[in-house]
Amino acid sequence: MPLSKRRRTRVIRGVQYGVLVVAVVALALVADWHQLRTAFFDVEVAKALFPDIITTALVNTVLYTLLGFGFGLALGLVLALMRLSSVPPYRWIAITYIEFFRGVPALLVFIALGFGVPLAFQVALDMNVTVMLSLGLVGAAYMAETIRAGIQAVPKGQTEAARSLGMSQGRATVSIVIPQAFRIVLPPLTNELILLTKDSSLVYLLGLSLNQFELANFGRDALNEHKSLTPVLIAGLCYLVITLPLGQLVRRLEARTARAR
Amino acid sequence: MSARSALPVLSVLAAVAVLAGCTSTAAGGNKSSGPDLVSAGKLTTCTHLPYAPFQVKKGGAIVGFDVDLVDLVAKDMGVRQEIVNTPFEGIETGQDFTIRKCDLAAAGMTITPARKKVMDFSDPYFNATQALLTKKGRPVKKVEDLKGKKLGYQKATTGGIYAKAHGKGVELVEFEDLGLLLTAVKSGQVDAGINDNGVLFDYVKKNPDTAVTAEFNTGEHYGIGVRTGNDVLRKRIDAVLKKAKSDGRYDRIYKKWFGTTPQTTGRS
Repeated sequence: MPLSKRRRTRVIRGVQYGVLVVAVVALALVADWHQLRTAFFDVEVAKALFPDIITTALVNTVLYTLLGFGFGLALGLVLALMRLSSVPPYRWIAITYIEFFRGVPALLVFIALGFGVPLAFQVALDMNVTVMLSLGLVGAAYMAETIRAGIQAVPKGQTEAARSLGMSQGRATVSIVIPQAFRIVLPPLTNELILLTKDSSLVYLLGLSLNQFELANFGRDALNEHKSLTPVLIAGLCYLVITLPLGQLVRRLEARTARAR
Repeated sequence: MSARSALPVLSVLAAVAVLAGCTSTAAGGNKSSGPDLVSAGKLTTCTHLPYAPFQVKKGGAIVGFDVDLVDLVAKDMGVRQEIVNTPFEGIETGQDFTIRKCDLAAAGMTITPARKKVMDFSDPYFNATQALLTKKGRPVKKVEDLKGKKLGYQKATTGGIYAKAHGKGVELVEFEDLGLLLTAVKSGQVDAGINDNGVLFDYVKKNPDTAVTAEFNTGEHYGIGVRTGNDVLRKRIDAVLKKAKSDGRYDRIYKKWFGTTPQTTGRS
């Protein structure tokens, strides 16, 4: 007996849900939960991590990220303006920079700054400065492109109106165009902040003293100490403590931008 | 040696998550003759590169003191050795045995009580001491001389444990890899680095602007690790080591990699 079109759609959908449920249940039954629990959820080990994982590791992760993001944002803005400049050499420099730092792994930038600079000039940079430069140099390449797109998204009429009020070109850019551009690019910039939060774990390459540990390094150090994977899981969850609110912020900003239109 | 540590442990995590449920089915191998191997016809060795002169990549192959010793075991079993390079954390925590990544771990690894809980060890095959590496001309004779200065160590190594125990007032800096630690000493980011004597002497040979200024006899012995309870393989390794020491093959391998013959004292 032929099914009506509507009924057929429902049956097909029901089968799809069924397959999903069976797959999940099968995976859950096959997994060795005892092994997983002893490896990942050792309560005693978890207790031993606190409060240092928050007071040192989480705080340092946030610190490194903010240092890198702040420097990267400033440099990114300069690069975006250079990229849009009518002076050709500025554009060439900006494009070369962006293509280079967007193309090389952040890992190499950390090694180049952390080990290359001291070997070349016999000066050891401060750890925080190295982190700020390394994360910032990489972040700036991405942020420059984001900011450029934002500036280009501001209608031409805004500049023309400002100019007709007697503002100079530079004044119009700083007072009229850039503020509007930043409102447009806030959501993607927040994404960049989340990416940098995770990239900040690369500081392990520089060598860390105890009070400089960030989350990933802290988790792996505790993994070796306790011979349990629990610290890595907890450290991972701590990243969520930072990134989930940021993701929420992005969605709210997006909603606000949508309403404003 | 100590232990060295490692690169991201994420691969181990993923592997554990996927395999934890099916370890019982993952076993392969030839049950009929000799030890049960994770991969038939191969003696799979876990190690963490590089750790000259114990394991180091050279001309597309992994060679070294440990490699030559395990080759003796493989030859005795009539199989060939296959080496897996993996984060040291995975080796040291016994996870690599849990997920049946390898039959044995030969990674210049010191036998410690903590590691004995997660794996079984062969008889000791090498005596290691901790040593200090500095730039040439620095009179650092012991860890206490570094008060107020920076001492680098490698994550999850016995050198790190020694530094933490003796390094009161010393700023300890943790490095992920031996290479990064040694470069940090060379570039002056830390005043000294602590690690096993074998690897530091190897480094100084090629980097004459650095020097090993002190050695501390910590009574460490390297052992070959096997999965807990894998007595068949462990006894086989012990038998091969014993035979090699008595017939001179061990001494020849030692001379090849360290340039000297082993001192008779203290080695079992």
